[in-house]
Amino acid sequence: MAGHAGRSAGTATSAPRVSTEPLAVRCVLIGLALAFLFLFLIAPVVMVFSQALGKGVAAYLAAVTDPEAMAALRLTLIVAAIVVPINLIFGLAAAWAITKFRFPGKNLLITLIDLPFAISPVVSGLIFVLLFGARGLAGPWLEAAGWKVIFAVPGIVISTLFVTAPFIARELIPLMQAQGAEEEEAAMILGASGWQTFWRVTLPKIKWGLLYGVILCNARAMGEFGAVSVVSGHIRGITNTLPLHVEILYNEYNFTGAFAVSSLLALLALVTLIAKSLVEWRSNHNPPDRREKR
Amino acid sequence: MSIQVQNVVKRFGSFSALHDVSLEIPEGKLVALLGPSGSGKTTLLRVIAGLEAHDGGTVLFDGRNAAYRHPRDRRVGFVFQHYALFQHSTVFENIAFGLRVRPRAQRPSENEIQRRVQEMLDLVQLGGLADRYPTQLSGGQRQRVALARALAIEPRILLLDEPFGALDAKVREELRRWLRRLHEQMEITTVLVTHDQEEALEVADQVVIMNRGRIEQVGTPEEVYDSPVNPFVYNFLGAVNIFRGRLADGKLQVGGLELDAPEHSGRAEEPAFGCVRPHDLVVSRDGHGMPVLVKNIHVIGPWVRLELRRPDTGEPLEAELPKESYRDLGVSVDEMVFVTPRKFRVFLEGQTG
Repeated sequence: MAGHAGRSAGTATSAPRVSTEPLAVRCVLIGLALAFLFLFLIAPVVMVFSQALGKGVAAYLAAVTDPEAMAALRLTLIVAAIVVPINLIFGLAAAWAITKFRFPGKNLLITLIDLPFAISPVVSGLIFVLLFGARGLAGPWLEAAGWKVIFAVPGIVISTLFVTAPFIARELIPLMQAQGAEEEEAAMILGASGWQTFWRVTLPKIKWGLLYGVILCNARAMGEFGAVSVVSGHIRGITNTLPLHVEILYNEYNFTGAFAVSSLLALLALVTLIAKSLVEWRSNHNPPDRREKR
Repeated sequence: MSIQVQNVVKRFGSFSALHDVSLEIPEGKLVALLGPSGSGKTTLLRVIAGLEAHDGGTVLFDGRNAAYRHPRDRRVGFVFQHYALFQHSTVFENIAFGLRVRPRAQRPSENEIQRRVQEMLDLVQLGGLADRYPTQLSGGQRQRVALARALAIEPRILLLDEPFGALDAKVREELRRWLRRLHEQMEITTVLVTHDQEEALEVADQVVIMNRGRIEQVGTPEEVYDSPVNPFVYNFLGAVNIFRGRLADGKLQVGGLELDAPEHSGRAEEPAFGCVRPHDLVVSRDGHGMPVLVKNIHVIGPWVRLELRRPDTGEPLEAELPKESYRDLGVSVDEMVFVTPRKFRVFLEGQTG
């Protein structure tokens, strides 16, 4: 007993000595971080907007409201609107299966979910060309049925789905693993059906994590270039998404147009970032969501 | 409702959590499952609740096989060690949960729900806290909310998984007395899992001692404490002194002591040992019994614990006596005293558990 008390007293006296770095070291570290931030994040964004507005507001508006740019914006939003809900359901189902059940092949499933992160987007695009393209595996059959996947909107949706599949599942799996299944068990014993348990117990527990995953998924769905570029065929006004449209304009030396359309993408990204910070702030300031540590 | 557990087997992969466990839990009783961690007590509780599927045997509720009933239809109240309260819901909504999720035809009206939740809150003495969130409550209050939530569905069995394990000693003691009173009031068949001997002995009508997936002994708190059937139970239910010696003609010979063991009479001479609780060891200075050396003296409130050592073998012993007897005895450290067991049990060597 006495030995124990002595030890804790020793810890108490050493506690106030919080280690701090010398001022010079702190300045260098903070300076480096800020310089990096400015060089690689702030400067490019400022550059995009200044270039976009470089020939005046009228030229900017003309470039943005160009029918082809509007079509690209519309297509980008449509793709995101299809991809995000599907990935939401997939992410929920995968996280649920992985965290609530014991089954063989679980680790394989986790690895497979990460696959789209591991392979280059261009390669994922090529996979779908090889699968659904005219000379691909399912190509002749699709052609006979009158469905056009590659160089059309379905191909863009499918490849975006593939590339963005891990975002929501990856966000939810660690969260749900940490939360455990006790509240769900309690709900079941109290008589709740699986559906009631999901809506009343699980969803409120994971909603902020889920929303965060949705935002990241949405950001990537709108910004995806590589995979979409391979399957889209770059048909102006039809299969061009915003990132592809930017590239075309740039290659045509239409810098004002390219930067103007880029500014649209940058704006979407900024909105996403603000939404993401809001979600983070909310989930940190919402004590009932934070399960205390055991 | 009574519960019968018959030859239940449960395995997790290659690990066997329950070996052929059979147990009778009579209607209206409070039964404690007591054992060290990994003894299978929580697994048995979860099997009864239906949270864990067993690999063999049957669980009967009132003589009817429970396996055909989904956990949500078993009308079981379950209280988790870490409360498992719904963090995003208020105390009121936590307690109302079991009523709100009922199929529409059986769901009570909003007024009835209000009334029932209020009744439960009064029962667990948390009347004014209906609008709080679980994180705004102390551990003891949370566990009472969990209990109110379990009781709100009018369960026929109440299962408690180490309900007070995460609380500090004083709150734990208060809550377990309160639980006992509540049990006497409601008379629901209750199974309590605990690793705290004191808790089990104080609260339960019947104590079930488990070890490594098996039941070692079932009995009233007095029975298991006073007549442990084997050394494991002896050891688990409190401190114990071991006297190793040789058994012959129903008597155990240990360094000058002779302990009667009529239950072992008629056996050939063999090694055996006697188990004696520290407070059943009589300490004197009159030359009767086994000579031992006093190594240390601890005064713990009204009790005095003597750390002793046998000079012949060097084995440590422990004796506990009331402070008054200690004063009358007047011993000090490094003095020689004599001990004789007042009560003991003799086990054969190799009979471990």
